[in-house]
Amino acid sequence: MNPATLIPAADALTAHWGWFQFLLMLTFPLHLFAMNALLGTALTAFIAHLFPDRAHRELSHELAKSLPFLVAFTVNLGVAPLLFVNVLYGHLLYSSTVLMGLFWLAVIPLLIIAYYLAYIYDFSFKRLGNLAMFIVLVVLVLLMGVGFIFSNNMTMMISPASWTRWFATPGGTLLNLSDPTLLARYLHMMTGALAVGGLFVALYASTRLQHDAETAEIGTRFGMQLFSWLTLLQVLVGTWFLLRLPAGVMKRFMGGDSLSTVLFAAGVILALATLVTGFKRMVLPTLWLTLALVYVMSFMRDSVRTGYLVPYFDITKVPVNVQWSPLVFFLVTLVAGIAVVIWMLAQLMNTKKAC
Amino acid sequence: MNYPVWFVPTFGGGLLIALVAIVHVFVSHFAVGGGLYLVMAERKAIKEKSQAIMDFVKKHTKFFMLLTMVFGGLTGVAIWFVISLIHPAATSLLIHTFVFGWAAEWVFFLVEIVALFVYFYAFGKMDDRTHQTIGWIYFGAAWMSLFLINGIIDFMLTPGTWISNSSFWSGFFNPTFWPSLFFRSFMSFMLAGCYGFLTATFLKDEAARHRMIRYSGVWALVSLILSVPAGWWYISVLPDKARSLVSGASPTIARAATVGAFSLAALAGLVMVLILLHPGARTRTLTVVVMIAAMGYLGAFEWTREAARRPYVINAVMYSNGILKSEVERINREGFLKNAKWVQHKEITEANQLEAGRELFLHQCFACHTVAGFNNDIINRTKSMSYGAMRKYLTSIHEKRYFMPPFVGNETELKALAAYLTAGLHKKPLTDDGGAAGDRGRVLYEENCAACHSADSIKPKIKGWDLAKVRAALDKLPALNPAMPEYNAPAPDKEAVSGYLFSLNNPGAGPPPKAQGATLYEENCAACHSLDQIKPKMVGWSKEKIRSALDKLSALNPAMPDYSGTAAEKDFLADYLVTQTGGAP
Repeated sequence: MNPATLIPAADALTAHWGWFQFLLMLTFPLHLFAMNALLGTALTAFIAHLFPDRAHRELSHELAKSLPFLVAFTVNLGVAPLLFVNVLYGHLLYSSTVLMGLFWLAVIPLLIIAYYLAYIYDFSFKRLGNLAMFIVLVVLVLLMGVGFIFSNNMTMMISPASWTRWFATPGGTLLNLSDPTLLARYLHMMTGALAVGGLFVALYASTRLQHDAETAEIGTRFGMQLFSWLTLLQVLVGTWFLLRLPAGVMKRFMGGDSLSTVLFAAGVILALATLVTGFKRMVLPTLWLTLALVYVMSFMRDSVRTGYLVPYFDITKVPVNVQWSPLVFFLVTLVAGIAVVIWMLAQLMNTKKAC
Repeated sequence: MNYPVWFVPTFGGGLLIALVAIVHVFVSHFAVGGGLYLVMAERKAIKEKSQAIMDFVKKHTKFFMLLTMVFGGLTGVAIWFVISLIHPAATSLLIHTFVFGWAAEWVFFLVEIVALFVYFYAFGKMDDRTHQTIGWIYFGAAWMSLFLINGIIDFMLTPGTWISNSSFWSGFFNPTFWPSLFFRSFMSFMLAGCYGFLTATFLKDEAARHRMIRYSGVWALVSLILSVPAGWWYISVLPDKARSLVSGASPTIARAATVGAFSLAALAGLVMVLILLHPGARTRTLTVVVMIAAMGYLGAFEWTREAARRPYVINAVMYSNGILKSEVERINREGFLKNAKWVQHKEITEANQLEAGRELFLHQCFACHTVAGFNNDIINRTKSMSYGAMRKYLTSIHEKRYFMPPFVGNETELKALAAYLTAGLHKKPLTDDGGAAGDRGRVLYEENCAACHSADSIKPKIKGWDLAKVRAALDKLPALNPAMPEYNAPAPDKEAVSGYLFSLNNPGAGPPPKAQGATLYEENCAACHSLDQIKPKMVGWSKEKIRSALDKLSALNPAMPDYSGTAAEKDFLADYLVTQTGGAP
């Protein structure tokens, strides 16, 4: 069976596809930042439990306070890119979603459990004693499990060749385990996430924990080490992932597609630069470089998807029936919403200063 | 047909959607109304300078945050996950149509999160005025989320002029938008009152507890009263078909409506008891009952709304099984399997008939019917139908029972589906006669009634009825039970069915002559002559003349074969024809 015959027809767009692509590429890295901070915070909080002294315990406690926020913003900032992916690639995504329906739905209970555990970890930190360490470990494992489910769906949606398995197994119990890139891709994502998460911990410790110099110092040092060593490891994992990609897709980064090649070069340079600043424990320079790096990586990820879909789908061929007013309505809402958020955060800062 | 189907035979997707949706609806409405409750209660505490009430509001905020932000937020995402899994085609249509509505809702979701965090973590640390403003911002953003999603949900029930102009705003401000917005807003305030009860019972300060229970009670009662006319307005703007489903033509809606009405009454009563009585020690049990009643009321409304758009997932646009109404004619012409993506049998042969039938079932019926599961079990529904009856039933399934989508496909495909539903599921023979000659009543019964009533289930209900009563009942089925459709069949068919039904409790009775005559006519003559055709030819013929003609058909017209029936059968046939043509008996 020719897998291309399984691909559903894409519905018409209400704006030029470039708008959705722009919004997707704008919001997806935001989700990544929150998700990375979440994973890195959970990992650091767990590791800090392994040291019995006061400052390490205090670091875990301080990080515990940020976990519920990070879960909330990871979920919220995940909604927007998932929406735009639905618009651009929904016909592919829904197909693979049905194939792995049971796992896909499992994301929700896993997240709910992780979310409540994060609150328990935060609100009952002192009462939990040594149990706290295991709770935050469970949170980390659950969240990394969610990431694995996402990696499966994101790779399966771009591989229609794997879809024919549905005829024999229609119960939503399929994963994409036989995909040679799956493990490399997942580890690439997780290594990067934990590295950037380490950077977040360093930033958090160096800016928010100044009232406790020892804890701030431990947090900053530990976060930067996590970032630097994992980024070094990423050189290996990333290369492995690159080599596992189908030849046609890999070549896009080796001159086959000029934009992808430039992105790849920029990514390598930025990564090397962050290694230098990271090992030197320069938090802010590393942060700026990493912000750029995550955007570059997101664009590379998008190029991988485009490469995979070359034989199957071309977004520029999807019919468009433009309706401007809903787009304008959204943009106005977005600007107003951001303004209100900034105002509220400013009020919060004023309150804290007053305290 | 465009998408694969998540096939867990015993567990229908509809049930999953209903479960997740009702849980989410209960929390998400609270997330809206609760926001208003919080600022109003905070204002009350400020005005009355009551630290006890202020402490209560702070505690309630924590409960509110943990429930709405975590559980409410994630079950909202869950609905999205579930519908894209169960109704991928409809989800795609909705997302593509309303993407910027949803995107704007995401912005409000973001504002809600930030506002609620600030409101909770700055409680008691911020000046009252700013803190109240943050509370109002939270409520405004939450209500705007409701506003936006309300437009999209109601679009599914009443797409309005969107069908002709495809405009975002026509679909959004659809005919049920405003009544539904009012109803849901009142519903959310009512729920806020109900949750307020629950947390108020934990208040240690007795005077404050009494005050907050009363305060919550007034919230719940006033909103409840206001929700009734809004609900009535909502129903009154429904399109005819949906309204007739809501007013009883669908058995499941009728059940939901009963639950809703009882819950409403119970809720109103309990809330008044809570307000009027001085809230004593037992109020916590009572508040739990109030919550359950509120859940019943709102749940019944949601269930009714979901069910009222049947057989569509987007009313008059896309059927529950993902087939676009506008495509039905073309697919009927070209064939379903040829147009479907996720099927293996593009052509039907004798060898693959059952397998192809199974694929048709999967893509056209499984959206609502489980296989041996607990919701709309197809095995149970089809057990009393023969292959012949099933074929007939499928040809007019949507006309007979409006809330079922029509079968979409060509004749061969219809046969394959009928074969799967009878031979495949029940090992029934694939013979087409539907029963022995003279059993016309039974055949008609199977075609028209057996989908809902097996002969065994109907038998005790008509015990002691005489033939005339059975016959008369067939003329007024909806009067017997609003869920039953009218049986629009010619009189002879009704006579045959009533004869069959009568014979269930009176085995020796046999079908009445008229019914037998009708059957004989159908079987022997109708292939070439419809009644309308022969009526004018036989005007004024007496029964004797007809009876004797039946002995020499080939003499009347050499193209006609002689009728080989027995003398008694010829008598029955003559009896029948003379009543049909209006001649002298």
